Amino acid sequence: MVTASLRALPGASFGEASSGLEAIERLALAPVDLMILDLNMPDMHGLEVLDFLRRHRAYSRIPVIVLTTRGDEPRRAEALAAGAALYLTKPFAPQSLAAQAEALLKAHPERA
Amino acid sequence: MSDPHPDNGGDFFAQFLDDYFAECDEHLTLVRRHLLALEEQVGRPDVDPALLDELFRSFHTLKGISAMVDLSEAERLAHHMESYLRALRQKEARPGVEGVETLMAATTVLERVITARRTGEAPPAIDTTVARLRALHSESAATAEQPAPLQTADASDTDAEHVRSPARPSGAAGGSEHARVWRFEFVPTPALSERGVNVNSIRARLQELGEILQATPHVRGDGGIVFEFVVATGFEESTFAGWHEDNLTYTPVEEATADTTEAATTNGRAALSSDTDEDSHPTQATPAASMLSPSNVVRVDLARLDELMRLIGALVTSRARLDESLKHLKRTVAPAEWRALQETSLAMSRQLRDLREGVMRVRMVQVGEIFERMRFVVRDLTRESGKEIRLELLGQETEIDKFLVERMTDPLLHLVRNAVSHGLETVEERAALGKPPEGKITLRAATSGDNVLIEIADDGRGIDAERVAARARERGLISGDERLDEAQLLELICAPGFSTRDEADRASGRGVGMDVVCSTVEELGGTLRLATEKGRGTRFTVGLPLTLAIAEALIASVGGQRFAFPQTVVREVIEVEASSVRVLENNEIVSYRGEVLPLVRLARLFDLEETTGDSFHVFVIGGGANAVGLVVDRAVGQREVVVRGLNDPLVKVAGVAGATDLGDGRVVLILDVAALKHSALGGRLAAGIGTAI
Amino acid sequence: MSNITNDTEPFVLFELAGTTYGVRSRFVQQMEMVEHITPVPNAPPAVEGVVLARGQVIPALSLRARFGFEKIPYDLRARLLVVNSGGRTIGLIADTAREFVRIPAAAIEPPPEAITGLSGKYLEGIATIDGRMILVLDLGEVIDLGDQQPVV
Repeated sequence: MVTASLRALPGASFGEASSGLEAIERLALAPVDLMILDLNMPDMHGLEVLDFLRRHRAYSRIPVIVLTTRGDEPRRAEALAAGAALYLTKPFAPQSLAAQAEALLKAHPERA
Repeated sequence: MSDPHPDNGGDFFAQFLDDYFAECDEHLTLVRRHLLALEEQVGRPDVDPALLDELFRSFHTLKGISAMVDLSEAERLAHHMESYLRALRQKEARPGVEGVETLMAATTVLERVITARRTGEAPPAIDTTVARLRALHSESAATAEQPAPLQTADASDTDAEHVRSPARPSGAAGGSEHARVWRFEFVPTPALSERGVNVNSIRARLQELGEILQATPHVRGDGGIVFEFVVATGFEESTFAGWHEDNLTYTPVEEATADTTEAATTNGRAALSSDTDEDSHPTQATPAASMLSPSNVVRVDLARLDELMRLIGALVTSRARLDESLKHLKRTVAPAEWRALQETSLAMSRQLRDLREGVMRVRMVQVGEIFERMRFVVRDLTRESGKEIRLELLGQETEIDKFLVERMTDPLLHLVRNAVSHGLETVEERAALGKPPEGKITLRAATSGDNVLIEIADDGRGIDAERVAARARERGLISGDERLDEAQLLELICAPGFSTRDEADRASGRGVGMDVVCSTVEELGGTLRLATEKGRGTRFTVGLPLTLAIAEALIASVGGQRFAFPQTVVREVIEVEASSVRVLENNEIVSYRGEVLPLVRLARLFDLEETTGDSFHVFVIGGGANAVGLVVDRAVGQREVVVRGLNDPLVKVAGVAGATDLGDGRVVLILDVAALKHSALGGRLAAGIGTAI
Repeated sequence: MSNITNDTEPFVLFELAGTTYGVRSRFVQQMEMVEHITPVPNAPPAVEGVVLARGQVIPALSLRARFGFEKIPYDLRARLLVVNSGGRTIGLIADTAREFVRIPAAAIEPPPEAITGLSGKYLEGIATIDGRMILVLDLGEVIDLGDQQPVV
């Protein structure tokens, strides 16, 4: 569903990762301009992935949108503190994710 | 499948063992010091209780840590020493000459046991020593009829003693196969990903193998991603050995470097026991440890410092390349900008030097540590030989690289032993000669420039040059009747198997032999000198480099290959026209500063293709009548290089002092210019006897 | 997991002049492509030179030369097996090396008289696994060039 909502983004290509490690692997396979992280992944917590990105210079500038389900709001402050650019609680309007993603990409033109 | 990561912490058991050895060293040093002090107090009405406490704690700790590494011989010895000390502390026994003697002997055996573990040799037999210790103990137990001690051991001690004793499952675990722990590293690539090899499939594969204990992503220096999986598996290495084709490499986590299966099972067991009886080791947590090692001291594994040095070496290499690039840049950049760059580069060079010295200082230890040990040895030998000896120690505070100390311990021991056994006369002999009855041995350390000098001197009978010469003639090592100077004398006594005393000493399991003394010094890049006078005494002077080897070198190409020449030995680089070379009795010469300079063609010496150009470069080595010109094709640069040893016998050839890499992954040989010159002048190029160091 | 017993050991297999050899994998520290080797003048003939392996300068020994086979230029398949033995670290150059197998100790038989020739001396034994003959290397012999002291 998340992927579908991003189809609206013009000229973007995207891949899905089913786990935290896989998300990190994506970084090695092709340049990544934006990462959308679900907090609840099978192996690593989304915040761990985020922390990993922020700790390594090569990836520290990638904008990250953190997704979570309702009820996990206390995580919000934590995620933002850890360097998430944006925090969205599911369910959300697909257009809003696409719009936010686009805005973030524009704000980080050096990666586009 | 080269591994981009420095190999850090790959092997926690090996590291654990290193810690163990380091801690043993500390305690053995303390024990020796305290035993010597105790010996002085024997016979007094009251022995300093603090001394007994210290000894007790040291043995207690040695016992505990030996149990942790499953070194049962050491554990047993320490246990019996501890028991005796307990009896002494509780005044169930009084320290006597016999007791101290036995403790000293046991300490020596204990050290040999620990050393054997370190070097992977079979441990010495300990039964006799244990029996002696037990005899002391049972005597003391018998003398103390009434079991109610006035003074009980403090609570922590009894506790520790209590939980320690259950035998660890030494035999029980024996036959069955343990799961071993491996560290896998997977580097994803787009190509692999296309083949369906990705972190998820790798993880699934590893899950099949056993249990994934840990999965962590890492970023390499170049920004690439590596996944590290720590996996416990009962499967054998061969199962996954072929997986490196999928960029999946592995290292064992808990295997020590020893390659015997026995060591491997020992490790497994030790790792197991350190898990299960976590709280049972009477570890460093004892008050003794905190008292003995001030909290602001950090013990660092030498291997980690080596790694740091290696990194600094890499930095030095990079900076040299930067310097090279700067030179090329000079033509294209505005002078002001270039100067700024140049200054930054120079500042960096200075800072690097400081950094290097800083790390090197961390590696330094005081020579006093090794001298203390000599005190112990001399004391033993004094008893055996019935000679009277005064040992004088000077310059104990002199600092020396820890690595050098360790390598030099045995050779120094040998020299001291020689001085006692063969150098010094007996009391009667000395009296007859009008010398003071007490023989003197002096150990002196001092820093001299870039070297540390260690002197071992005695005021004994001196080396009988005539006898040595006679023996050498007998064996055909020399001919003629010429008088031997001290250097020749040293060369002879360093010849393997020359000294019959060496043989005898070695047979009795002591000492390493003069030849080993010489070769060790040579290997460490040091010097050995001898001064001896009949009837007055002998002095050996060992000179060791203070610092690890980073040298300024000239790089030249010869027959298409690059070589490095230590800059200090090259007096001048001159360009020579091929046409100006003259031939005189098979020797090529050129005129140089009004004199004749014989040429040595490296290409010829090394069987490389000779240059045919109109001109070539010549490195002038030595001065005056001794000057020689080494012919190279071209001098191509000058830079700091990190000297690496070339110690394997396969590549230990005369004329090559070591190797370095210039940062492009290729090895460049560093030439031993002195040996080359020597060979070219008709001398032997064979490595020779290790005195002309 | 239960079928693993102590009397089999993993071996790294490598090819040399059309024959398969095996070396105990516990001695093999790593395998690399054969890259630049710096010749060492006056070293024994089988010593190709020195290479940099993990920051250490180690000798590289041509197994072809050591066993008396004709030398061939190194290609992409050639491998440097970095082995540890007797406290030494040495690179052995093989035509190629790709496989690992377990060989039961019982499957290793002493080399027959017929190949006690040049390479027979360096063999610990011969194993036959699935109809394939594997010559098991005596590493200590291979890297001991005591009989070939460098001469100048």
